[in-house]
Amino acid sequence: MAIFVEQLLNALALAGLLFLVSAGLSLVFGILRVVNFAHGVFYMLGAYLGFTTVAVSGWFWPALLVVPPVVGVVGALLEASTLRFIYRRPPIYQLLLTFGLALILEESVRVLYGPTAKGIDPPPLLEGAIGIAGTLYPRYRLFLIVLSLAVGAAVWLFLQKTRSGLVIRAVAQNSEMADCLGADIARVRTWVFGAACALAGLGGVAAAPMTTAYLGMGIGVIVDAFVVVVIGGLGSIPGSMAGSLIVGAAQTWGAYYLPETAMVIMYAVMGAILIFRPWGLFGEEE
Amino acid sequence: MRRREFLKAGMVGGTAVAVGGPFVLRQADAQNPIKIGLPTVLSGGNAQYGTQAKRACQLFGKEVNARGGILGRPVEFIYEDTGADPATAVRKAQKLVEKDGVKILTGTVLSSEALAVSAKCPEWKVILMSTINGAGALTAKSYNRYFFRVNTSGPMGARAVSLYLAEAPMKRFFGLGSDYAWGRDSVASFSAQIVAAKKEVVGRDYPPVGTKDFASYIGKIRQSRAEGCYLVLPGQDATIFLKQAHQFGLTREVKPIMEIVELENIKAVGEAMVGTIGSSRYPFTVDTPKNRDFVKRFHAMHGVYPDMFDGETYEGLEWLAQVMQKAGTADDVEKIIAAWEDSSYEGLEGPFFMRKCDHQAVQPGFAVEVVKDPAYPHPVPKILATYPGDRVTPKCRTEEFV
Repeated sequence: MAIFVEQLLNALALAGLLFLVSAGLSLVFGILRVVNFAHGVFYMLGAYLGFTTVAVSGWFWPALLVVPPVVGVVGALLEASTLRFIYRRPPIYQLLLTFGLALILEESVRVLYGPTAKGIDPPPLLEGAIGIAGTLYPRYRLFLIVLSLAVGAAVWLFLQKTRSGLVIRAVAQNSEMADCLGADIARVRTWVFGAACALAGLGGVAAAPMTTAYLGMGIGVIVDAFVVVVIGGLGSIPGSMAGSLIVGAAQTWGAYYLPETAMVIMYAVMGAILIFRPWGLFGEEE
Repeated sequence: MRRREFLKAGMVGGTAVAVGGPFVLRQADAQNPIKIGLPTVLSGGNAQYGTQAKRACQLFGKEVNARGGILGRPVEFIYEDTGADPATAVRKAQKLVEKDGVKILTGTVLSSEALAVSAKCPEWKVILMSTINGAGALTAKSYNRYFFRVNTSGPMGARAVSLYLAEAPMKRFFGLGSDYAWGRDSVASFSAQIVAAKKEVVGRDYPPVGTKDFASYIGKIRQSRAEGCYLVLPGQDATIFLKQAHQFGLTREVKPIMEIVELENIKAVGEAMVGTIGSSRYPFTVDTPKNRDFVKRFHAMHGVYPDMFDGETYEGLEWLAQVMQKAGTADDVEKIIAAWEDSSYEGLEGPFFMRKCDHQAVQPGFAVEVVKDPAYPHPVPKILATYPGDRVTPKCRTEEFV
């Protein structure tokens, strides 16, 4: 029982992190029709900026508040200065561009911070472990679960209940029609791209106390995030949530019971989805 | 259509990640210099190791050139980024040999890269001097006479830890190694020696390289009721594991034991690493006059304390210079090989001897514990036991011990 509860919490915490990254990836593809390979790098950027903020201020909480908007602004500026000009070209152009941006950002971080991983300590309130169902569980991971649930709910409510959310959904559904009806497509794209980067940045800050900030963390997470998006369905927030839970659970239980095949399980699920429901669990059939 | 594009794009991008981006760093030409080529890793996750090799070269180059160079010729280093890919490493090494005319290669980071480059050395007639590579095979199954290993190998590190644990009170161990040659070989060799010492290995696991969440493994290690956990994880994976194990409170119940205890890990993990034991190929805290002086000079130049491969690379270069002086040449590879075989050298941490039979440098082995020390800004490796070279070096051209 203790083991089950522990592994369940592990799966939820990992799913939480995956959700913060994949939600943005999914959103960007839904609105911009761009596979953003640089998305993982914004996650890494969040972690490193979080490290700097904690080092400068001595506190963890400001990092959680300040870093996501900063990463969001960096993302929005990059979209407005590069991606904006090539939406009409074939998808390979956008892919090459975002991949190039990923390399540039990653190497810039290496030059600025050096090749060594940077550790961040969790805030004192979340330090250490507490007893749950007869096992010790780190407080910080519980916080991650709560944080990602709250963010997920907020993003979903924003998209469903606000006027801006309505416009974004309209652009996602049919951008030409939305354009004709007076939506400022270019602005929507920049905002969505920035917001998605901010989400990834938040994921990065939140992940840093658990995984440290290190080079290559972006590329590691983007692969999982792609799987999440394929499973959950493109452009769907509930889909990202479900996909994250499935991938988190597959990795956690897989590593525990079938360590040799933990990776295979995740891709087997993705393969099954592609065969039987190619538009993903929550995606819309085209 | 959007879905297919997404998948297609993902695949193209994935291939691009695997290929990576190369770039080149060069130093200025001097007159008729002795050129030493480093096909090393300067970008990506393993760049910390290439950086260490480079730092050692910078210090050594500055010092030796201030003294008038080797055989009156200045020494020049040429760095090439391999991106941690064996095929690229061979290509960059070939460029260094054919275009730059180097006779000595060093600085290879991954054992897989060293194996690939070493295999080409007999054809190119150049020496590959390892100061980093751990795989036992390099001086055993895959030995060739153009390859010299100055550093402590992986099996030698595992041996030093095993010798220490054989006398320690712990009885039950768990082995956690990354899922590739180094991780699996080291866990196997550790298990064999633990069993030989009449102790028990209660579990083994092999997480994939790049694992970011070790929670499942931590749960398993706790379940196994092991007293010590032997970790064979590369830099970042080790950092992440130790950080998470500490958060789960695991390190209070199970002693982490590492095949290599690196400063890079200690700095990233911080206080959570205090108490970890393991081997170190070069602990900078070794108390010899030569090392104390080296640490001072290194710190003055780079502002940090030397890590394992800073020390090992510096030793390799110093030894090489001594050998070139003795051979009276920096170009005649055959003469350098002959002068190096069965030669001795006083290293930073003690006496070194280059065995003729397999070109493995016999040298002291260390068991260390990470401790807090107010004299340093971060925890440091404290030496628990020093083993003489003949106890930690395997039988000639094998990975086995007497």
